[in-house]
Amino acid sequence: MDSQVEKGALASRTLPVLRPNEPHAFVKPAKRIHEGQDVHHFLTSQAYRDIGIFVMQLNISMCPRKSGHSDQVETWRLDSPLILSGPVQKLQELLGKIDSMIEEAPPSTGPRRFGNVSFRTWYEILESRAQGLLKDSLPKGVLEFRAASADGVSVLDELTPYLLGGFGSPQRLDYGTGHELSFLAFVACIWKLGGFTSESSVDGALERSIVIGVIEPYLRVVRRLILTYTLEPAGSHGVWGLDDHSFLPYIFGSSQYCPAITANDAMPIEGSLAGSPNPGDIAKKAVVDRERKHNMYFSAVGFINDVKTGPFWEHSPILFDISGVRSGWGKINKGMIKMYNAEVLSKFPVVQHFPFGSLFCWEQDPNATPASASIHTASQPLGRPAPSGIGTTRQPPQTSTMAPWANSNVGAAPATAAPWTQAPTVQPSTRAPWADGGSKALPTAAARTSAMPPPSQMQDGPTRAPWANKEGPGGG
Amino acid sequence: MSDLDRAIAQLRACRPIPEAQVRELCHKARELLIEEGNVVTVTAPVTICGDIHGQFHDLMELFRVGGDVPDTNYLFMGDFVDRGFYSLESFLLLLCLKVRYPDRMTLIRGNHESRQITTVYGFYDECLRKYGSANVWRYCCEVFDYLALGAIVLGASSTLEPSKQKVTASSNSLTSTQEYLDPDIEIEVLSSDGGIVKRFPRQKTVKTVGGNKSSSPAKTGAPGTGASGSSGGSVGNPGGAVLCVHGGLSPLIDTVDKIRLLDRKQEVPHEGAMCDLLWSDPDEIDGWGLSPRGAGFLFGADIVKVFNHANDLSLIARAHQLVMEGFKEMFDASIVTVWSAPNYCYRCGNVAAILELGEDGSGEGIISRSNGEVNRSDGGMPGLLKEKEKVLLSGPARRYRVFQAAPQDSRGMPAKKPVADYFL
Repeated sequence: MDSQVEKGALASRTLPVLRPNEPHAFVKPAKRIHEGQDVHHFLTSQAYRDIGIFVMQLNISMCPRKSGHSDQVETWRLDSPLILSGPVQKLQELLGKIDSMIEEAPPSTGPRRFGNVSFRTWYEILESRAQGLLKDSLPKGVLEFRAASADGVSVLDELTPYLLGGFGSPQRLDYGTGHELSFLAFVACIWKLGGFTSESSVDGALERSIVIGVIEPYLRVVRRLILTYTLEPAGSHGVWGLDDHSFLPYIFGSSQYCPAITANDAMPIEGSLAGSPNPGDIAKKAVVDRERKHNMYFSAVGFINDVKTGPFWEHSPILFDISGVRSGWGKINKGMIKMYNAEVLSKFPVVQHFPFGSLFCWEQDPNATPASASIHTASQPLGRPAPSGIGTTRQPPQTSTMAPWANSNVGAAPATAAPWTQAPTVQPSTRAPWADGGSKALPTAAARTSAMPPPSQMQDGPTRAPWANKEGPGGG
Repeated sequence: MSDLDRAIAQLRACRPIPEAQVRELCHKARELLIEEGNVVTVTAPVTICGDIHGQFHDLMELFRVGGDVPDTNYLFMGDFVDRGFYSLESFLLLLCLKVRYPDRMTLIRGNHESRQITTVYGFYDECLRKYGSANVWRYCCEVFDYLALGAIVLGASSTLEPSKQKVTASSNSLTSTQEYLDPDIEIEVLSSDGGIVKRFPRQKTVKTVGGNKSSSPAKTGAPGTGASGSSGGSVGNPGGAVLCVHGGLSPLIDTVDKIRLLDRKQEVPHEGAMCDLLWSDPDEIDGWGLSPRGAGFLFGADIVKVFNHANDLSLIARAHQLVMEGFKEMFDASIVTVWSAPNYCYRCGNVAAILELGEDGSGEGIISRSNGEVNRSDGGMPGLLKEKEKVLLSGPARRYRVFQAAPQDSRGMPAKKPVADYFL
């Protein structure tokens, strides 16, 4: 955007902060992704670019650092003492208040199918207090950011939907990666408005305090909500998704175990921090119980162990497979980012609920280069019905009863491939400017292509690639 | 031992069979299924089961609790695949049993038996992972297209016979079902070891007929299982058959015969009668409502009662929705949801149930040959409802066996770890 000024030496790696003295036209966020094809637009939008930059910025901040002295390595554990900036402390307090609302809305003991209806009560409390809480919690500079618009849309009008969107769906009684994305955007909005940057970030210190001081506490609130109200995994793939509800802890947690870098290094793409647990240890309960206190990846796995019964390799085969990666946590981190791009940001069922305003903006990123159509993005669904069982209670009614996955709009959908992803499959391809180079391997769909049925076998009218339309884990 | 028996033995051990064998099996299954009508006629006794979702070990537990094939006659109401780790083994075993014992095994289609849904919710990924190619997935999808859309159970008894099922597990229940059974018992809930959890006598006096409220849930905590069934007993179902369908009713279908007229041999359409039968849900509403699923409809008690009356049905059995207690009767026991995947997705904490309908041996029970065709029997005559309510032996007696997830001690070694594409 014109009014944005890039700060910091590594411009491409840091989300630009708006000039505080320039009036800004805030916009009430609105959904723009209405059908599958809109995802392609999203993947070349400024909002997509900014989400990517912010994720990468937070990601590298969690990577261990070589200190000046030889052999000395600095790491960041969830439980190590950390000096939190004022704005981060205030956000932590906000999360604490949101958490304590759970006591005001005890779970109903009446008959239920699965999700607990008292979650709606909790959510109503949150909705009714959100603006007030934000007034108490946001930095002064953010709250008093000069609004340019005559129609009186305030900074809170723009920010509140992202906060509310981060805590699940009261209608469907579910929670998934789409909600996680909304909260990430909420934090990124504050960043863009200069809410964190009164003290300048030295080698990722500020970003780190956001991950450890805001994101992880947020995940703890979410886990408590899931347990208290038995929130369903939004769009669950059962055992075939990465995780029923979350994705970000696997990105930031794998970064914590990456080999140490110096300030100007790029993110490691292989190897592990000396002394870090073996990736295979996620299947060992004792190691998980020890590491979950320090590390976000293990903290997420620990939560899975809390809620699921049965052998880990059986109920979480995707995580189990990843635990067999031999090239270390660097490789896992790189894979997680690719997977996040493909299974969360590129999936209609997940991003359809994301609203766009002035800070996360629907307009095209001038630097995004649309790539050729990929077979995987060729047929995004218009929507997605939630199949039986969990994930079915309340979804927004469609205007007709036509199944949302009808009308598989084949044809050339523009696809985009962020170079930071390079996943051989499922890859949209647009060059994301926030990627830090290193794009080598081009998508090779060959392996999976051979597994495809010929179009003639697909009796379902418009051809539908069997691997298309995979919803992100816990998308929703 | 035939090849088929060998395949059954191998699948019972939770080991997938070779691709070539799957191809042959699916071919045979298609030949068999193509001969079945859209609505299969099944004669009681039969055990009706709901969603399985690839929970193979729990399917084995189901067979342990309900009796093995071919000793017990089974009807599975779809959703064999997706979400669970063993969709492949579960579906292929059921298919093998169908081919081996065609008259003892009825499989009808669920909304997950579809190309589009399986590509999203796991079965496609599972086949690719277990075979390295999508061929097996394709063979299975071709079978899906031939599965029946529903079944009509005829000749179900209105009284409960003593349970014949011997359960091998040590039974610590105080009551045995081998004892004399009161003929007035309409609903019996048994735990997995055969112990009686709860019995509901038939209500002889008619309460509010046509009321919209579902029977009030009864808390019937089962010793040791934590199970509780939700059922208050029916107010006297008019005699008739039991319709089994995965989801529910459709505004486009007012008679069972209209189901028979559909062209079912295709991918599940995105709308229309066939879609609705696999996607709809009963709900506490009047008439029809939009489904939050985005496919199918919601339908209320009035819809069920009119449909059952017009088609001479005493009950609709359906699956499609998780119910924590394994089964849930609604709308004065005119419709029941049966759910057979315990601790769904390894985390929901629900119990599972199967529904046994006994054989009518008295000759005076509900044998309707109308198959729900309006006006062939007396089903369509006005005023008959009240007439029938006075008859003592009316709706079928229901025995629900409730069971929990299989123990996890005997579950093989972890599979090798194929490296996911993103992590190459």
